[in-house]
Amino acid sequence: MALIPTADRQSYPFQVHRFPQDHYIDALRWLPQISAFHRHIVLATFDSDNSTSSLQTLAFTPNSNSNINSGSPPKLTHHASQLIQSRITSLKTLLTPQSSKPLIAASTFSGSLLFLTTDLLNGSLDCEFSVPEKGFHSGSISGIDLSENGRECVSVGKDGKINLVSIGSGERGNSKTVFDSNGLVSYTTVKWASPVEFVTGGLGFTLHWWDQRRPGGPVSQFKPNWTSGTTSGLVHSVDIHPSRKHTCLAGGSAGTVFAWDLRWQQQPIILFGAETDAQDHSLSESEVWEVQYDSHTRSSSIHNYSSSQILPAMICSEDGILAVIEQNEDSIELLAEPCAINNFDIDRQNPTDVICSLEWESIAILTRS
Amino acid sequence: MPGVTSESGDPTTSIIQLSQNPQPVTYPVHHGLKPPLSRLSISWARGNTLRVTVLRQPQQPEDGDEESGGRVVEVKLSNNGDGEVDDAHWRRIAYGSVTPFALLQSRKNSFSALSKMSPLDSTEWLQYVMEYSKEINSLLGNPNSSPSLAIEDSRELLKDAERPTALKAAWELMEVFYADKQSEAWIPERLLDWLADYDCLFSGTQLTVHSKLVDFQKELATLQAVEDDPKYWEAISSALAIGWLDVVVKLLRLHGSYQFDQLGSRETENGLVEAVAVLISKMPRMRPDLEADKLGECYKNKPDFMKAWERWRAQITKLDSSAFWLQCERHQTRDGLKNMLQIMLGNSTSLSSATFHWLELFVAHFLYIRPFTVGLESMYNLAQKCIQIKPTFVHHKLMGLLIGILGENPEVVLAECSSSFGPWMMTHASELLTAGSIQADILLHEERPKLGGICIEELNRLVYAQVLSSHVLTWQIAPIYLSSCTRQGMGLLETVLHKQPVQHDQVLLKSIEICRLYELDSVSTNIMKISGMHDWKHGKKGSGVFWLQQARDEVRLVKIAKQLFDFVGKSVSDESFKQWEGLLELLGSESGSAGGLDFLNKYRDFRRSLHQAYSGMTNDAARKAAEALISLMKSPSTPQRFWLPILYDSLQLFNWPEHPLLNVSQTNLLLNKLQELSMARLRPDFVDADLPPEALASVRLAIATNLGRAILDE
Repeated sequence: MALIPTADRQSYPFQVHRFPQDHYIDALRWLPQISAFHRHIVLATFDSDNSTSSLQTLAFTPNSNSNINSGSPPKLTHHASQLIQSRITSLKTLLTPQSSKPLIAASTFSGSLLFLTTDLLNGSLDCEFSVPEKGFHSGSISGIDLSENGRECVSVGKDGKINLVSIGSGERGNSKTVFDSNGLVSYTTVKWASPVEFVTGGLGFTLHWWDQRRPGGPVSQFKPNWTSGTTSGLVHSVDIHPSRKHTCLAGGSAGTVFAWDLRWQQQPIILFGAETDAQDHSLSESEVWEVQYDSHTRSSSIHNYSSSQILPAMICSEDGILAVIEQNEDSIELLAEPCAINNFDIDRQNPTDVICSLEWESIAILTRS
Repeated sequence: MPGVTSESGDPTTSIIQLSQNPQPVTYPVHHGLKPPLSRLSISWARGNTLRVTVLRQPQQPEDGDEESGGRVVEVKLSNNGDGEVDDAHWRRIAYGSVTPFALLQSRKNSFSALSKMSPLDSTEWLQYVMEYSKEINSLLGNPNSSPSLAIEDSRELLKDAERPTALKAAWELMEVFYADKQSEAWIPERLLDWLADYDCLFSGTQLTVHSKLVDFQKELATLQAVEDDPKYWEAISSALAIGWLDVVVKLLRLHGSYQFDQLGSRETENGLVEAVAVLISKMPRMRPDLEADKLGECYKNKPDFMKAWERWRAQITKLDSSAFWLQCERHQTRDGLKNMLQIMLGNSTSLSSATFHWLELFVAHFLYIRPFTVGLESMYNLAQKCIQIKPTFVHHKLMGLLIGILGENPEVVLAECSSSFGPWMMTHASELLTAGSIQADILLHEERPKLGGICIEELNRLVYAQVLSSHVLTWQIAPIYLSSCTRQGMGLLETVLHKQPVQHDQVLLKSIEICRLYELDSVSTNIMKISGMHDWKHGKKGSGVFWLQQARDEVRLVKIAKQLFDFVGKSVSDESFKQWEGLLELLGSESGSAGGLDFLNKYRDFRRSLHQAYSGMTNDAARKAAEALISLMKSPSTPQRFWLPILYDSLQLFNWPEHPLLNVSQTNLLLNKLQELSMARLRPDFVDADLPPEALASVRLAIATNLGRAILDE
């Protein structure tokens, strides 16, 4: 594998600001921006002192000065918060064209699914509707995703259920079970590929592709052949790029990051880990908690990539790494923390800005230039 | 262990005074349930939290409300001392100290690997310790928390900074005396700085210079001619006595004689005030540098300082005996200034009356009487003298610590740290102690048979790790400390890991990750087994099988297999087999790791081919189905109770219209199996399959027919 260090790779300027919190952060996301001047993030927090969970929105004020080295540091100010009955397992945000208020979906450890809206101007966070635990999932929900068209939310759990919840105006809150494996299969994460297709990740690095037009079971399954007995692991996060719907990018145990191209189903592209010497050095040896395609590329645009090439992506890991990875290239380590980085989110509208939650009760905000 | 005396009860003989708290504390339980409540159960949870389970009356069906039948609430019994540092801040300190501590340990290890020389002798080592101390110190509070104003209020004497903590004060004190060997020569000046930062901590229990100045500042706003107020002169001399020279000069400049309309008539008086102010700002200091807004002239080495010191005192004496005093009409100004000169000349009576706390007097002595004091012994004697002059009636934790340090008594230092600042301090401060004092080094590292052969340092770390692991968020940093304990650390780490709940995937994976880092394979296997059984029992069969597979737990997989087969026996129809696909996928094709579960794979293949054969009725598909049947019946992992149902399902294969699908030997195998089955039916533990009563007979007949056809065929 050719590792060509290029000039712009060496200098990859960015700024990091850390914001200690007084509570553990279970999940965090950027909120879709409704105006150029107001930027917000949503946090799912866990207060260990009173064993309470809550959702909080914070206003983010970037560096006042355009010059990165001078000027005041960015600020986070408390905006609104809402107590939640149980700890949050997954958090997604969406701005639908029908509403000026961003929608926040949060799944809980106890198995309920909450939908909130936040009024960014008046600073309120209100529960719109929710799906109660009973008859939904048994036990915790491990992953959710909101469809881009704002119609449905898909949820998966370790109990082996895949549920769809309508969020469209008509029958909002109605849920139906798409599939129930009766616990024979556990799902850890889910991601929409199109309005009718989604992909789930699970144990043993398995990925399942589902198509609502062909109900009754997964349309196609992927189980890696590199696992032999004990080196197997879990998929923690899946991402699909809107321009490459046939490719799922997945991250999981033992520093594994791989891509599964539906067109060449049984040949995954292993980017990291999995003991295959795909790279002569491993980026991380522990859990890769989240993967997201990184739209802030140094190369001019994604059109320079061939359709079989994996687009650059960002990962965060249990051993404290936040890095940008690219096929056949050196990875760029943005952060190497002494503690785990549990989540991160790239701001869709400002892909230069990345927010991540550190295990030691703090948030870090990266501003790339 | 320091901190625990063998006899309890008599507070005068014990090293540590255990505070008696006669006030009962009420903790509210927020369960949020509607009455009536029927049961309450209380048990210990992690650390000092109680787990309270509140159960309601069993719900009446007509109630119809969706309320839960009960709740489990955790109630935290807080005991973090005086509440100086809140829980979240404590955790931040705990997180922040991990990296410096781990770095220092690894440096220590490489040091001892490189040379047999004790790290105590090395200046390089002391540099590392100092680096460590500085980093920890920065966690304990922010010195620059108050932004400096561009236009300072001329009447603002003390900055309204964030109240410092005793914890930081204690750490800095130990840094001064144990870690910072470079500034050993100017310890008096460092103590002075220390008192300037932390004098306010003593104001709570008694009068101090700080509290005096705070009070005077309040009055200052209303005073017109400050120099007429005796409190003005008291405040000035107090500030001067403990070396707050910038405050003194600032106060002097408020003197009425500086006002334009007064300058003419009070020229001499003003000249005297200014002369004193200049003298003060030129005071020689035995230290390398001063902060920007502090006054004095720095001298790095002793001879230069001594010369300057003598010159300075000569100037004071000269001013003291000057004739201008007679021309000064205002007696308040004259007396006040004269008193200041006496303080600067080291008049012990003036010093004593200007200071309130013995520590202030102690510092004043360094400043004006014995600036060359070196050595802990002389400092200790001086401290004792000051305590006699200014006895305190309230035991302050910092005073206990300081006396312990000055008295070169590491036992007392450790005891004070333990009782006042807790296990975090004990663990982290012992690095400073061992670096700075051979006595402490021996005390902390000596192996104690009474403690099971471990030393006090290890004991401290074990205690701290225990505190960390009792909290849901900090347990994951306990391994760092446990791994530095050579004797019992690993054992305790195993216990900590075993006690982590397995319901949260994140905690489970973290435990496994910690096992990987510390090469605790057997613990990791156990955790996987526990998780596997947990998931299995909670209906997450796939996840259960996955973890048991990861743990290579053949025994449990075989047990599970039996239950899974029961499940299969009941539920597998051709449609529901879709649900099984995922699990079968997970099991993989290789046998062995699946522990008998590979039967499911073969069974699935068989069902599939049978389905194809029956629906298409092609010879090819039928032959494949027959092959699958034979491989299934040959396999030792196929449970006996599946034999008859499988054979019964295959009836059509035996009677395949065109030609027999099974040859003679294959048919014989099936007949043998059938014979075995008939024998097994006689045993009491045999479970009959849920099939029509004539099933066995019809299978026997079909196989016999097939045998006949096969013989003819051959």
